[in-house]
Amino acid sequence: MTHAIELLSATRSFRSDDAVQDVTLAVPEGAICGVLGRNGAGKTTVMSLISGQDRPTTGRVLVDGEDPFENEAVLSRISFVRDNQRYPDDYFLHHVLGIAPAFAPYWDGELAAELVERFRLPRKPAIRKFSRGQLSAVAIVLGLASRSPITLLDEPYLGLDATARGLFHDILLRDLGLYPRTLLLSTHLIDESESLFDHIVLMDRGRVVLRTEAEEARHLAMCVSGVADAVQAFAADYPVLYSHSIGGLQTSTVTGRLDDDARSRAATLGVRVKGASLQDLAVAYGSGDALQDSSKEGISA
Amino acid sequence: MNSIQAATRLHLTKKNMTFGVPLQIVGLIAVISALIVLIIWRAGGTPGSEEWIDGARSNGGMVFGLLGFLVYMGVQSIATTFPFALTLGSTRKAFVAGTLVWAAVTSAYLALIYAVLLLVELATDHWFVGIYIFDVYYLGTGNLLILLPTVFLGSLGALTIGALFGASWARFGNRGPIFLGAGLAIVLLGLLALVIPLITGSVLADFRLWWLAAAAVVIIAVSAVMTLQLLRSAVVR
Repeated sequence: MTHAIELLSATRSFRSDDAVQDVTLAVPEGAICGVLGRNGAGKTTVMSLISGQDRPTTGRVLVDGEDPFENEAVLSRISFVRDNQRYPDDYFLHHVLGIAPAFAPYWDGELAAELVERFRLPRKPAIRKFSRGQLSAVAIVLGLASRSPITLLDEPYLGLDATARGLFHDILLRDLGLYPRTLLLSTHLIDESESLFDHIVLMDRGRVVLRTEAEEARHLAMCVSGVADAVQAFAADYPVLYSHSIGGLQTSTVTGRLDDDARSRAATLGVRVKGASLQDLAVAYGSGDALQDSSKEGISA
Repeated sequence: MNSIQAATRLHLTKKNMTFGVPLQIVGLIAVISALIVLIIWRAGGTPGSEEWIDGARSNGGMVFGLLGFLVYMGVQSIATTFPFALTLGSTRKAFVAGTLVWAAVTSAYLALIYAVLLLVELATDHWFVGIYIFDVYYLGTGNLLILLPTVFLGSLGALTIGALFGASWARFGNRGPIFLGAGLAIVLLGLLALVIPLITGSVLADFRLWWLAAAAVVIIAVSAVMTLQLLRSAVVR
């Protein structure tokens, strides 16, 4: 399997704070990978390292087998617009659309024009006056119209209304179908975007706590809920990732496949059980109770 | 288009900032100079007299009026453009080189504007009423061969020093420009303390303008190298 992106024990420290700690992962060429985790989990820092905007303090980052830092050939194949992207003073939308093709060899002007039109991006005010949603739309225009073989989208949904989010999904899927590329997408709106992903990287406190194929992730854990004693009895046979109690009721996320045995045991104990969604997994791993690196096949070293 | 050209174009996209605003500032300084001349004339000055010409040629408005704006342009050419340049996929080296080319283009443009306006000033016998704006001591007293390198190197120096301060901000945040400014002041004062005893009457008598030009070239080169060094380890967060 050819890997478009590889991080080998990469750590990025800022003074005494490790934004990313000993991250090892490999993303296959053409994968659509969801990078999930809480605020401050290290998602943007990982993307920053991959895009050559930063260097690891220790470890290595390889894109198409090469170090991306100050590597003109590699950088021309990467697109990364961060969620809090800053633009030059007094920049307008036409400035962005005018300059982007000079750096992006695969730039598609027609797609950019379509995105501007459909996201209803205004041309008159300076970009610094754009709303949060409009800034996200500009980032989407840059990310998608660049048609870069490696596209990193950092929280592309921030501030977007429901219509715009649907539009982004539609155009993203259409364009990926026409021009396949390796895509990393970080988001907190996991339920809305999980259908896109074929791979998942879950991060917490700078570490990768889960990396697996998306389909595998959907069978990794179960959510069991009911009376606390019964839930605890059910969970006794499984590693518990996360538990939450209200009064005498409890919900737990436990590692294990939801099979007939589990269903039968749940019925006997009188608890409800369902397969954990990616959202459930993100909440469970983000709780800090489950910090082990659960590498699975697919995205792994 | 190579990466340095692309970085240069990144700055030139804002045509008004590069070409329009400096022209507007030049126009504003010209108007202010004319108003000052009017005040002096109303106060009893005699246009065309030796005293009038000597005083008028001391007008430094066209030199110092634009300086602040050029330093600001230099600062913003790095501080607010660097994060976007990285986003577009520029290398730090190409970005600094492209910024230097843009600064040279801007400086050449200003030198050309000043040269044309000097020629108009001379051709109209100082705007028909004895207003000295470009035919001043600071710009070579009507000598194009002095005005052109003075404006070019002066503008380029201001832009690259501004860029250096912008890079120090990009690298170290608010502390960057403070420490850089303090450091430069200490170094300059230290150099002055070392050099002053060597400046004797004969050295002053041998002084040549090209010494200043050479000093400007050194300042520009050092600023550009330091800017690259600062940006190599600068992180956008």
